[in-house]
Amino acid sequence: MSTMNLEPVPGRTDEMIVNMGPQHPATHGVLRVVLGLEGERITRAVPHIGYLHRNHEKIEEARTYPMVIPYTDRMDYVSGTQNELPFVLAIEDMLGVEVPDRARKIRTMFFELFRLASHLVWMGTAMLDLGAISPFLYTFWDREIILGIVEKTAGARMLPNYYTFGGVRRDVHPDFFKEVADLLDHLERRMVDYEHLVLESPVVHARTIGVGVLSKERAIARGVSGPVLRASGVAYDVRKAFPYDAYPDVEFEIPTSPDGDTYARFWVRFQEMYQSIRILRQLLELTPKTGPFKGKAPARIKPPAGERYRAVENSRGELGVFVISDGTDKPYRVKHRGAAFSNLQIIPDLFIGAKFSDAIAILSSLDPVFGEIDR
Amino acid sequence: MSLLQEVWQAVKAIGTGMATVHKRVYEEAPTEFYPYVKPDLPPVSVQSLALVENEDGSERCIVCLQCERACPAQVITIERHRNPEGKGFLIDRFDIDLVNCMYCAACVEACPVSSIVTIQDFEMSTYDLRTLRADIDFLHEQARNSRQWYSPKFGVEIRTEDGRIEKAPPEMQPGGLAEILKPAEEVDS
Repeated sequence: MSTMNLEPVPGRTDEMIVNMGPQHPATHGVLRVVLGLEGERITRAVPHIGYLHRNHEKIEEARTYPMVIPYTDRMDYVSGTQNELPFVLAIEDMLGVEVPDRARKIRTMFFELFRLASHLVWMGTAMLDLGAISPFLYTFWDREIILGIVEKTAGARMLPNYYTFGGVRRDVHPDFFKEVADLLDHLERRMVDYEHLVLESPVVHARTIGVGVLSKERAIARGVSGPVLRASGVAYDVRKAFPYDAYPDVEFEIPTSPDGDTYARFWVRFQEMYQSIRILRQLLELTPKTGPFKGKAPARIKPPAGERYRAVENSRGELGVFVISDGTDKPYRVKHRGAAFSNLQIIPDLFIGAKFSDAIAILSSLDPVFGEIDR
Repeated sequence: MSLLQEVWQAVKAIGTGMATVHKRVYEEAPTEFYPYVKPDLPPVSVQSLALVENEDGSERCIVCLQCERACPAQVITIERHRNPEGKGFLIDRFDIDLVNCMYCAACVEACPVSSIVTIQDFEMSTYDLRTLRADIDFLHEQARNSRQWYSPKFGVEIRTEDGRIEKAPPEMQPGGLAEILKPAEEVDS
């Protein structure tokens, strides 16, 4: 049997080979899973990726360092500036650039705004997969407000190209802090509704509790990270383990759940949104309204020869970048460690033995974004 | 769980869902009636690129090739020759392939004289991609048609009724005002 395509087992007539995707609406993009079905039960599952491959890492080798930043944006298109940060941090480390305190805090505020935006998209699409349409409309409504705030400062909604070596590209809009405060008040009211519609709904309970259980050992062995790992009871968060930017200055908790099922992953993402709101509230107090937003970076970015790995905790888990510099103005190698990519490889573990309709719920709880997986 | 409890659970869930949805019915909808009502985009919003001319119609661009070097997608093509009378260069060709442009505004950041700017005209959808291979006339036309544009060096500039180019008032400017309010001569030198 080839590993690429599932072939029927000779003599077995009760197994049906079903191709899910790459245009299946519940696969959040262009994932193709070949499933072996025995009635409703999944007996075999082989995921296929690469339909959105754009050769990011190779293109980045042919670009100068400042040119790479807009390309990193286009990996995880749902969480905007979060993708730029690991690359920016790695180059800042190599160059020894000092980032002003205010720039760090602005960067962290944008990071958390995009976490909220990304989790709102996840909530809407996950509920859409389970058959509920209203939450999708409401979450995109709220995300619209976040993207509006981002656009006013950064100039673009989803691919802002906002971080730069030594800080951010331009100062925040004068209304930024007031708008974020209003947004947080608004979101806190809305989160009550979302709890009613999602976490407390008996339909969601029936579809998710006890479905797709990922054990702690299996999660660690497969290298998953982010909410998927924390829902299996491992309190690993890059923001706490290897703090960056303004995270040492703020207080927050790492929500974990011992269950490891689909509902636990839903629950952990909800708690993360509360923690994001908490972090943003503290940063609103801590960030000076005026001051420097960009440190002194050299005009021509030429890091000394060497290598550097930096990771951040984005909405999906540990997003890392490994840069090798050979002393010229172009990177010798850029390797991205995508969180959604690592999370996706537990699909065979979770799918086998589950029902076909549960596979949709499990997949949406992993929150894959194919821009980042295929790169 | 008894049948009565299950029925009660179901009724409660439907009730909560309906109440939540009902609450939203009376809220103001965020949708925009786009073709009839134009969206009010912030002045820094990157929707398209334009090449600004001076008030007297002369070229603002000094053909320094900074934008060509800064472009991550490498879609800008410039050819130039030395000015036979006086100093500097003259443009032979200034093309931007707006199909492959990724609107990161790196060229606008790099421009020392704020000649290439971002504008808010987003209505560029077309049936023929060849119309998006912008040459210098196309880029000038884009600038002539826009009321305001943005560049990090000069901030937001507006075209007044009588065709003059002015710096927008501070309330229209985005963040980083101190940098924007620097006099233009300082940047030129």
